[in-house]
Amino acid sequence: MNFILLSVIGSGIILDKYAFGEFGISQPIIAGAIIGTLFGDLQTGIFIGAMLQLIFLVGLPIGRDIPPDGQAAGVIGTGSYFLLRVANQAGHALCLAFILALASAIIGGALEIFVRRRNEKLYHLFMKEQKRLYLYHLVGLIPAFLRSFCLVLPIFLLANYIRIPAQFPQLNKELLIIIGLSLGFANSIYLFLKKTTVVYVLVGALCGLALLVF
Amino acid sequence: MRLSFTRFLKILFASFFIQTSWSFFSMQSMGFLFNLFAGANKDQRDKIVKIHKGFFNTHPYMSSYITGATLRAYDEGDVSPEEIRNFVAITQTSFASTGDLLFWQTLRPALLLIAAILALKSGVIGPLVFIITYNVFHLFHRARGIIDGYQMGRDVIYVLKAKRFTTVRHIFEILGAFFTGFLFSSVSFEMNYLLLLPITVLFLLLLTKRFPSVLIILAVLLLFVIMVMV
Repeated sequence: MNFILLSVIGSGIILDKYAFGEFGISQPIIAGAIIGTLFGDLQTGIFIGAMLQLIFLVGLPIGRDIPPDGQAAGVIGTGSYFLLRVANQAGHALCLAFILALASAIIGGALEIFVRRRNEKLYHLFMKEQKRLYLYHLVGLIPAFLRSFCLVLPIFLLANYIRIPAQFPQLNKELLIIIGLSLGFANSIYLFLKKTTVVYVLVGALCGLALLVF
Repeated sequence: MRLSFTRFLKILFASFFIQTSWSFFSMQSMGFLFNLFAGANKDQRDKIVKIHKGFFNTHPYMSSYITGATLRAYDEGDVSPEEIRNFVAITQTSFASTGDLLFWQTLRPALLLIAAILALKSGVIGPLVFIITYNVFHLFHRARGIIDGYQMGRDVIYVLKAKRFTTVRHIFEILGAFFTGFLFSSVSFEMNYLLLLPITVLFLLLLTKRFPSVLIILAVLLLFVIMVMV
């Protein structure tokens, strides 16, 4: 898969975050599955997506608050893993892909704030020419797409050409699962553990442990 | 008064663009006007722009209820601009808080948690369960919101007491809690997994102390680098 085409597809997926639809296809687990399918390795795509999903389970875009961009992290984490994997060892590729994904979530959040500030200009233009609502509103798709494209393209370019030195640390699946599950536990306890739901958490834990043992 | 099918489809399609030009200044103002334009005739548009060109913000899926009810008010024609403006101002906050609680804080994270667990165990079933179930609820509210809004008019706010909000939220809270515990099924009986406990406690503390989410992700990145190096 060409990294430019992957950047276009990835930026299109991220549009679902807020600019069009919000069907949930930009969530890391779905983006991971889509990108995994494009590279012919659905299972690995889903695995990376699921781990990033557990990390970004709490990301509530309430009111004016803009959390780190978990959606960009999902696209970048999966896409850069597959691009890196072509010329590097799996452990190296996984490690660098996750570092890039987490860093891009922070940068993506900052870029989103920038874009939403720029959108104020569209509103002011609309106030001057109120007949052109369709134009000024739908033009908002362009900065939303470009925000993702400007974030995704340089990272995929880097992932496409970089040769990771042997001294670079490797990440194995077990360590990634430990980090993902820890964040998954913390996030879901924070969201769902209340006085009224303690019983369900305990029942779930018992069922989970039973499944694990037997 | 009934909404024609083509008009309904136009509003539904426009509702997917509600946040396209979202800005800190006016938030979804242009998106809301875009939705209203999709269902209004040309004679109504000038009046709509005059009344609704200010600030607007609600939950994106819930905007359909307000759009439907507002269009009904314009179709009836006997409501003053001040009344419509007040109605929109009141309903946007009520639907915003209900939508945030239902979708952002309960339904979506619960389904994503279930999807992640299923994905780790059965692969593709996880993402499929999420995308199908989530969109059943999401599209239901987008579509039903337009119909209910138009049929109920300014009484649409009473729909917030309906079971589709309260019961569904309660069910997904229980599901989320159950699968929080069920996440244990993905753990393995190996020494390394003892690391789960301190890391979980650390991040739970960061979350409950309401540290900014950017700091939490930076902490994940730092922890990640430390663990890989060690």
